[in-house]
Parts: sequence; structure tokens; C-alpha cells
Amino acid sequence: MRTPAVVLVLGLALGIGTPVTWALTQPDEATGTTVEQAIDASSPSAMAPAPSPTAAPSPSGAVPPSPPALDLPPVTTRDAAPTVAAPVAAPVRLSLPARGVDAPLDPVGVSPDGQMELPEDVDRVGWYRFGPVPGDDGSAVLAGHVDDREQGLGALAPLRSTEVGDVVVVTGANGAETRWQVVSRELITKQVLPLDTIFGRDGPPRLVLVTCGGPFIPELRSYRDNVVVVAEPLP
Amino acid sequence: MGGKYEMTVHPNGRNVTVNKTRPIALTAGATGAFALLFAATPALADTHTATLSVLHAIPETPVDVYANGELLIDDFQPGTLAGPLTLPGGEYDLALYPADAEDASGDPLLQAMDVAVPAGANATVAAHLTEAGEPALTPYVNDTSAVPAGEGRLTVRHVAYAPAVDVRAGGEVIIDGLVNPNEESVTVPAGDVSADVVVAGTDTVAIGPADLTVAEGANTIVYAWGSADAGYAFATQTVQAGASAPSGVPGGSAGLAADEGMPAPLVGLTVAGLAAAAFAGRKYATSRV
Repeated sequence: MRTPAVVLVLGLALGIGTPVTWALTQPDEATGTTVEQAIDASSPSAMAPAPSPTAAPSPSGAVPPSPPALDLPPVTTRDAAPTVAAPVAAPVRLSLPARGVDAPLDPVGVSPDGQMELPEDVDRVGWYRFGPVPGDDGSAVLAGHVDDREQGLGALAPLRSTEVGDVVVVTGANGAETRWQVVSRELITKQVLPLDTIFGRDGPPRLVLVTCGGPFIPELRSYRDNVVVVAEPLP
Repeated sequence: MGGKYEMTVHPNGRNVTVNKTRPIALTAGATGAFALLFAATPALADTHTATLSVLHAIPETPVDVYANGELLIDDFQPGTLAGPLTLPGGEYDLALYPADAEDASGDPLLQAMDVAVPAGANATVAAHLTEAGEPALTPYVNDTSAVPAGEGRLTVRHVAYAPAVDVRAGGEVIIDGLVNPNEESVTVPAGDVSADVVVAGTDTVAIGPADLTVAEGANTIVYAWGSADAGYAFATQTVQAGASAPSGVPGGSAGLAADEGMPAPLVGLTVAGLAAAAFAGRKYATSRV
């Protein structure tokens, strides 16, 4: 009888193939370097320019100056009258063409609970206005709700499936675009999110996109993790 | 450091923390020695240097400033701020001469010997008038400790030839009863404020109102300076304080984008496949017997 053999093979194929195929089609927890590496790799200490051999302008053969009693640096003075800082030109739009993300940006600050403020509208994304403008030194943070019980999925829902090399485009207030390339995507448990790194104000320009992800915890009406994507400037 | 205390006030329902400190007093004496005693100065990256600024707040008196006998600031005008200077930590002799003096050989207008500027410190020395109208040099330690995300520190220093004042922001008193040469700090949401100074306990405006920006993650220092004859004004200085990150990033409330286990239909398919295989395997084995 050949039927049982065929059923055996088909059954095993179905029983093993189904979960394996499902697992393979799930996005990885992370891709690229870790978020901390992606940002730290560009920290000032790592990127510090090698000391220039010509830094000391001491012409060879010249008599070394007599040791000064006090090596005073040049002093600059300025009018101390009060000033109002010029308003910062906030970025206006974020897009990831490969993932179908195209959303307007709102400048946001800090909520009363101390967390980053996010636009109520899940179709909009917040730019952390106390950090740098995208392209300036440091880590420019753009974040949005992944979903809402009434509004459905948010603009940043596809962030979970971004891949290294994806291009990110940010439109500035004057219409000029800055282009970025994803170097890291990671699911990080909220309790251990490296906030000081993600919101760091030093080092070369970085773009950090943040939303929620991982398993949903119904009792807390919250996700367990944050999806964090780090992108470097494209030349 | 004499009388230091903290209090909390609640304008508009938002907490504002107030730190009141007296500067390490060097007031009346036009000549004398004083030391800056830096209490718990946060370590900076470079532990060998100190950061020093100098504010000129004596009206109508341009000066030359000498440090250890060398000209540091030439023709220093009232209402201007010099620095920040990065200096090796150590002790400095400071002297102020009239701006038209040839050199530092005559009698100084004002001098202070052995001013200790410890490595890692961030300080401002103000040349100003006391409450009695005498010229004085007062050293202040600039508070560079971290402020919460989204907030800035506003420090007010009374260096005017005037009695006690209240400081208002947007018409509300945020600091009251400040006397020369004391300072007081509040932590407020970052942004632009309209500030003025009134005679303590009254609505008599002495300075302002003037718009100024309280920068996030920074200490915005406002000096009330001048005299009744020359007029009163604000002078400002901004010193980076530690910026803080928000405590987290919220992000979703519906679970629509959750990573979940394998969907039920796929689990069913898997179970059915394995069951069929087991059944067929048994049957295959028995059919062979």
C-alpha cells in the first residue's frame, strides 16, 4: 500500500513546513548593527581627529618663548543685553519610499509624565524640538504612534520591517531634503531603552526613528518594546 | 555657603523649584583677598582647566582688566560680558584700572588677590556696585548641573545699586526679596519669557519688561545691574547645563502592530499535518507486519 507513505510524507511536510515558513517570513528582531553601536560608533571619542602634527606652530630653530607668567587666551567680549533666540527651522516631512512611509512632521517636546510628546494624530510624526534639527550634530529623533484604538495603524507602523540600506528622506522648513541610509533596526524593551544615547546631542549627525513594537500587553494597553531605527547621512 | 534653602512655588500649576544661595561674599572692599569656594562642582571633561567669564556692571566706567599683572581685557565697557575663558585651574590676582591708564603701575580702581579658580569650575566674576553704591568684585559659581528634559534653569543675580527686588516672569513673581549681591535660581519650562524687576513687594517696575529665551538644558543667568543715576538694565549670560533625555517614548495603544505567536489557522494546519503523518506512519508500519 503506498497511500500511507504518501500521507506520511505530506503530513510531515505540512507539520514542519508550516511553522518554519511562518518563522522565516517574520521580520527579524534586529538588523544591522545595534542601535547603541550605530550611534556610539560616531561618538566624539571614536571620531576625534588625529592630532595634527602641525598643531604646535613652533617654527623649528626659533628660540622658544620665555615661559609666560600666565598663558592667557584671547578674550572676546560681547554686549550682554538680553536676547531672544531665533526660532529654529523645524523639519516638515519624513518619508521612507521603500516602506511606503510619507508623513508630516510636528515639533514636539516633553509630556507632563516626562516622556517624549507625540502627535495625537497617528498619521503625523513628532520631531523632538529640544534636540538637533536633522543634519545638525547629534541625534535628531523622529517618533510616532504605531497605532491607536480609534485611528488604527499609524504612519510609522512599517518601521518594524525596515532593512539596512533603506533610504530615508527628511524635508526641511525651506523645502531642502536631507537623505539618510538605515544602518540599524532593533526591537528594544522599553525599560532598557538607551535614552541618553538615542537623545544624545553630541557627535556627528544621526537620524533616529522610534515607534512601538514587539508583543502587545493588553493589561497595560502598551507594547513591550520600542522599534528603533538609526540612519546615517547619505553623501 | 551661608543661607541656602529650597522652596517650591506653583505658578500656573506647574512646579518650579527654587534654589536660593548667597554668593561667597566679597563685597565692599576695593582691595582684598577672596577665594572662590566651589561646592560640588560637577566634573567637566577636562579636569585641568576652569571656565571663567567676567561681567562689567559698573555704570559709566570703562576699565582695563589685568590678571596676574597682565592685560586680560582691554577697554572693557559696562554692560558687556567677557569670555568664557578657559584657564588652567589655579589662583589669579585680578585688578581693574581706568581704561585710559597706561599700564598696571598705578592704583587700581578695584582689585582682588589670589582668586582661586579650581580646575573643573565654571564661574563668573562680576564687577558691579553694591547696595550702598560701592564698586565690588563678586565671584559666582555657575550651576551646570542637569535640568529635566524640556526645562531650563533661570538664575537671577542682583548686582545693582538698589535695595531688594522681586523678579517677575509674565507678570508673576518667580523670585522675591532678592538683595545685592545674592542670586536665586528657578527651573522653568524652556522658552521665551517676558521678565521684569520690581521694587520688592510693589508693582514699581525698575527694569524691563524684556523678552529673553530660557534655553533648554542650559542655565540662563540674568544680572540686574546699574544705578538710579545711570539707569538700570538686564545683562544675560547662558551657560550649558546638563541636558536630560525624556524618560521614554510612548507609541501605541491598540496592539494592531504587535508581534504575536503563529496565527491559529497555521497552528491548525501544523497539528493536522503532524496528526496525519502519525496516523499514516502507524498504518504504514502495521501494513508491513
